[in-house]
Amino acid sequence: MDFSDRQTALSHDILMSIDKPSRYTGGEPNSVMKDDADIRFVMCFPDVYEIGMSHIGMQILYGMFNSMPDVWCERLFSPWTDLDRIMRERNIPLFSLESQQPVKTADFLGVTLQYEMCYTNILQIFELSGIPFYSADRTEDDPIVIGGGPCVYNPEPIADYFDIFYIGEGEVRYRELFDLYKRFKAENKSREEYLREASHIEGIYVPSLYEVTYDENGRFTEMTPRYEDVPARVKKQLVKNMDESFYPTAPVVPFIRATQDRAVIEVQRGCIRNCRFCQAGQIYKPVRERSPEQLKELAREILKNTGYEELSLSSLSTSDYTHLKELLDYLMEYCGEKKINISLPSLRIDAFSLDVMSKVQDIKKSSLTFAPEAGSQRMRDVINKGLTEEDILHGSEMAFKGGWNKVKLYFMLGLPFEEESDAVAIAELCNKVAGVYFDTVPKSERQGSVQITASSSFFVPKPFTAFQWAEMNTPEQFVEKAKITKAAVRAQLNQKRISYHYHDTGTTIIEGIFARGDRKVAKAIEYAYRHGAIFDAWTETFSYEGWIKAFEETGVDYKDYIFRVRDDDENFPWDFIDSGVNKSFLLREWHNAAKAQKSTNCRNQCMGCGAGAFGCGVCVE
Amino acid sequence: MSVTVRFKFMRTGPVRYLGHLDMLRYFQKAVMKAELDAKYTEGFHPHQIMSFAYPLGVGMETYGDYMDLEMNACEDAEALMGRLNAVMHEGIKVTGAVILREKALNAMAAVAEADYELVVTGDGKVSGDSEKKNAETVLTAAINELMARSEITGVKSGKNIRPGIRILECRRCKDYKGSNDEGADDYELRLVMRLSSGSKLNVRPADVFDKLCGTEAVNESGIRFKVTHLYRMEIYGNDKDGRIVALNDKTAE
Repeated sequence: MDFSDRQTALSHDILMSIDKPSRYTGGEPNSVMKDDADIRFVMCFPDVYEIGMSHIGMQILYGMFNSMPDVWCERLFSPWTDLDRIMRERNIPLFSLESQQPVKTADFLGVTLQYEMCYTNILQIFELSGIPFYSADRTEDDPIVIGGGPCVYNPEPIADYFDIFYIGEGEVRYRELFDLYKRFKAENKSREEYLREASHIEGIYVPSLYEVTYDENGRFTEMTPRYEDVPARVKKQLVKNMDESFYPTAPVVPFIRATQDRAVIEVQRGCIRNCRFCQAGQIYKPVRERSPEQLKELAREILKNTGYEELSLSSLSTSDYTHLKELLDYLMEYCGEKKINISLPSLRIDAFSLDVMSKVQDIKKSSLTFAPEAGSQRMRDVINKGLTEEDILHGSEMAFKGGWNKVKLYFMLGLPFEEESDAVAIAELCNKVAGVYFDTVPKSERQGSVQITASSSFFVPKPFTAFQWAEMNTPEQFVEKAKITKAAVRAQLNQKRISYHYHDTGTTIIEGIFARGDRKVAKAIEYAYRHGAIFDAWTETFSYEGWIKAFEETGVDYKDYIFRVRDDDENFPWDFIDSGVNKSFLLREWHNAAKAQKSTNCRNQCMGCGAGAFGCGVCVE
Repeated sequence: MSVTVRFKFMRTGPVRYLGHLDMLRYFQKAVMKAELDAKYTEGFHPHQIMSFAYPLGVGMETYGDYMDLEMNACEDAEALMGRLNAVMHEGIKVTGAVILREKALNAMAAVAEADYELVVTGDGKVSGDSEKKNAETVLTAAINELMARSEITGVKSGKNIRPGIRILECRRCKDYKGSNDEGADDYELRLVMRLSSGSKLNVRPADVFDKLCGTEAVNESGIRFKVTHLYRMEIYGNDKDGRIVALNDKTAE
């Protein structure tokens, strides 16, 4: 196919009148064109192009689907507000990037759900495509709408909008869904029949096939299948052997600068650390590594096929990768020859990582990053963050001696069992780090002075974590704590060397509601969208007041989802998902947190969380 | 030691919506993929030494733009062209490559003039043959009116751009791909321009078009003209005697 003859869905006049028109014209290097395919799958990341194209999960599934001869996978992102307005005014149907054809003509519309604040953007996608919001209203003319990604670990707030949720890692079950689709289409079976049969595939959740009951206060009690053949629990799907799973060696390379504008190799999936606030750490259990041999080959292939000038390593905790030294030694030599930069993820600061960083970064310009998450040792024990003050101070000392003088520290406020003294401890820790600089670097060797940048986000309890029972702070409590920290920073000896920032409270609250809400939330999302909510992850378009009004107008008791400690034996809307990690383990961890009692990590000693049943990764090492 | 290679390239189709920096990034990646022996800057974040004669605006297509790349060594520029085209994609193609002689001006400094072709239609009014002929008459009158002036003030610069309009004509043209040969009536109207470019006097084709639309001839006709394609056809520099030569000409300064 001659690419220069490709027709764009939008006219020249429109493209010339909007910001970054090449967000919408497709045709990037390594994008896939097909003339004919049995199944057309439109994969949507419901945010702007530059964000969506930075997501490796989407690239994995795009490459994997397009490696199937009978499937054509295309991409779709949220039109920014300028184009949104034009499409509404002129009744232009939303189109996928590759074919530039209306989304509604596809067989499947897959939506990757990476963060809760994209929920209104999903409704925008539906509306501009001419697809009904609710699964119940869709007909044979509409694509099958599938949701995937980390947010499906509590899909209930958006359950009514989706025909199917795929629970777990996408590499495993899509082929079965496609084969079933082809068979049922050939047999002229209905959409309803397809969804019913799809629910028998492991990991596939069809929300319309379940009944939800609530108690007299409107609180969730249980969810049961409407039919005997529909499974009561849906099991998370995961890749057992990373080396045998698909990884794209020719990812699509955006023309315009994406947020992550570099080649990425995924060194491992999962995390051994068991931090109690972290959802990714639980839902991707157990940790599974790729072999260094495969990673070296992947890096070479991807760089060759993309022309990227930068390579990055991806995982939840790269320092825990057991072959890190071997891999980095190889990559530094290979990339050095080819003038390719290596961008290091946040490694744990130790002698090894400092040595590597000094080789690939300009020390004067780069900064060191620590994520202690909490200021006091007691709080770090509560959240099971296995990083001690000693680690931080010793790491800082080594770094300062090595020539660094910029340090970034990440914290959370509003954690369970937090007291005023814990907010103060953040400031004290920053002060100690600055103090280490003055103690270890003699005046004559100081270049500039030490700069400590501390920031705190506000904690959101997530399903499938030890803190799924926890209560959230109110916006007022969040701000009060941030002010305590800020005042404490100002009271420190080295306060001039410390800058402190904190995040927005409004998005945090709404995220908390979506994270642990139930099916009733859907109508509030629709209300908010109809009253202008869109791109809620962007501060310029987010309105907290608008959201609170939406909950009030639709009678959704949002406070009940977030502002209370949940009972140990409470049923949760997401309990029907079998993530492999037992609820009893999480509850034990919740009780340990209350006692500020640390736990171990998976490589040290098995804690019997239940993920061992998958029989792979660190559980069988 | 290093040598500079000047590549001539075209871009047509949907890639015309890329901005200048996107083109730079695209070519940097192409050089990596083609494994050319490019020279790099020193330091922790080495990058290629690449420059363009004339940044391509969003929406503009080209058959004659230039990119200079510094290389450690190069014996056969034509061979590099083949290697680059092997990794090119979607409407961007290298059409020439020459090794610059020492002391040649860099591409941007060398630019003196450029040729453009603007495919013109009117708001739904210029489709049939008689309408096209009418539009052609109107545009020709507008050109005569404009060129008769001694002073035309540029939209952005405020400078007199009249001396910078070297050629301005309205022509009947076939589609550039030569695909429509069904009949003599099947043509499009193009404004053909040669305009001063570069640091001394830079005339933009859109400015000239706007000025044409502001003439009495166009106002009286009631036609609202618009541009559907804007092509840069060639970029020129000067030779040592001040004559106009294409930027990849061996005699260019």
